[in-house]
Amino acid sequence: MSQSVKFSRRQWLASVGKATAAGAVLMMAPAYAKGSAGKVVVIGGGFGGATAAKYLKRRNPAIDVTLVEPAKTYYTCPFTNLYFGGLRTFEQQGHGFDELRSLGVKVIHDYAAGVDANGKKVSLAGGESLDYDKLLLSPGIDFRWNALEGYDEAAAELAPHAWKAGDQSILLKKQLESMPDGGTFLMAAPANPFRCPPGPYERVSMVAHYLKHNKPKSKILILDSKDAFSKQGLFQAGWERFYGGLIEWVPLAKDGKVVRVDAGTLSVETEFGQIHKADVLNIIPPQKAGAIADAAGVTNESGWVPVKHQTFESELVPDIYVVGDATVAAPMPKSGFSANAQAKVAAAAIVNALAGKPQAEASFANTCYSLIAPDYGISVAHTYLLQDGKIAEASGGVSPADANDTFRKLEAEYGVSWYKAIALDTWGTRS
Amino acid sequence: MYTATRVIGYGALLSALMAGPGLLPATAAEQSTFDVTVLAASCANCHGTDGRSPGSIPSIAGRPESILGEQLKAFKSDNPPAGTTVMNRLAKGLSDEQLDALALHFSQIAQSSPSQEASKP
Repeated sequence: MSQSVKFSRRQWLASVGKATAAGAVLMMAPAYAKGSAGKVVVIGGGFGGATAAKYLKRRNPAIDVTLVEPAKTYYTCPFTNLYFGGLRTFEQQGHGFDELRSLGVKVIHDYAAGVDANGKKVSLAGGESLDYDKLLLSPGIDFRWNALEGYDEAAAELAPHAWKAGDQSILLKKQLESMPDGGTFLMAAPANPFRCPPGPYERVSMVAHYLKHNKPKSKILILDSKDAFSKQGLFQAGWERFYGGLIEWVPLAKDGKVVRVDAGTLSVETEFGQIHKADVLNIIPPQKAGAIADAAGVTNESGWVPVKHQTFESELVPDIYVVGDATVAAPMPKSGFSANAQAKVAAAAIVNALAGKPQAEASFANTCYSLIAPDYGISVAHTYLLQDGKIAEASGGVSPADANDTFRKLEAEYGVSWYKAIALDTWGTRS
Repeated sequence: MYTATRVIGYGALLSALMAGPGLLPATAAEQSTFDVTVLAASCANCHGTDGRSPGSIPSIAGRPESILGEQLKAFKSDNPPAGTTVMNRLAKGLSDEQLDALALHFSQIAQSSPSQEASKP
């Protein structure tokens, strides 16, 4: 170990070069497509997919990497809450793919329609077919339409989820801006697991910030399908301090579970039959892995994707790696940070596998900042290592409850700095 | 299973083609090795790619190994430096050897841009 510890970056790069030379020998092996150091197709241009494509190329530029992503500009979910709070524009959420192209990644703007795992081919909606030696999926989430009665795609046009960034975010922002002072912003928060565990509560904080300064007679009601949530104590203390009685949270145990949505009247019904009427209705519906994961056969009965945590290769289908929100990676949360961290482990695993080298020890981290008020941030941060092949927390926790305002302000600033760093790390974009 | 067998198969193929040192033993695919670039990759999430920060979180690229190592161990201690936010919570999960490896790794990366780094002798 001490020898490999002293391995310098330059030596490591040199060894990658040797591995590539070895790859030239391996090319004779029949499993490799089209005489290269290997051909990798990445599906999804979010935090997981774009990071994977970049780090595959950084580790071995000889690998043929193709990224499939429908959007020419990818808009991130993280920080859309600051857009709702009026602290940021929607355009600041957008990231393009120029850096990946400059690294030699072939970027195709199309939908991945299907995966032939036996023939190792991806078919695109536009008709093209892509061969792969290794496939990496970073499909994010899809919604379980109608799992919550009355909530389907049409209902989402009236009662937005805004849980994928895009038109839905803009719709929710417009509704918030046209809501009358004295109105009710009602959020239905989902049961676990779901994308971005602290997200609903940061959203409520930022909506409260907007309402306090623009429509101070308004109310926020959160109807929750669970009894506890991420950073709960810190959020609730922050709400009390900045927003007084503006926010009411109703847990599962107090009839918080929404079981039916009537988008036409902007009302919801709870488990025990209470009807709540909203002026703006934000439904965060039950979720599952993005559709291409189903098509590839890598999901299990839960709708999510079980993976080997050492490499993030599917437990069900060889040579398909899956990272990000779609995977079963608890205790890691479904976050952009986690997707980025998992993508780097998967990229290293793919490069090593293509070169016939042993796998590197996997390690991960996650830090999620949430903003309660403009100068008042909180965080949850963990380091993760493998124990018996499964991801386990090595350390971590939430910001201290008794931290002073300087600490909270620093975490608000670090949140902004984090976004800049991860956007640069993932897409090479500066915001 | 399928994958492991295949990797081992390639190991054997390599042995046959290029007998010599540095080849993988057939069992290598079952073991994992330490690669500091994998451990360091998560740092980039906040400190920037290769430890060059675009924001107010400090850059760590090209800082002296001894300073980085001392700082990481101070973060890990039960009395972290004043102003510490997340780093106490993160560093506690890593061994001193891992922290030393990170300190060496980031000390060897140039503070300047990748293109400047590439032009160095």
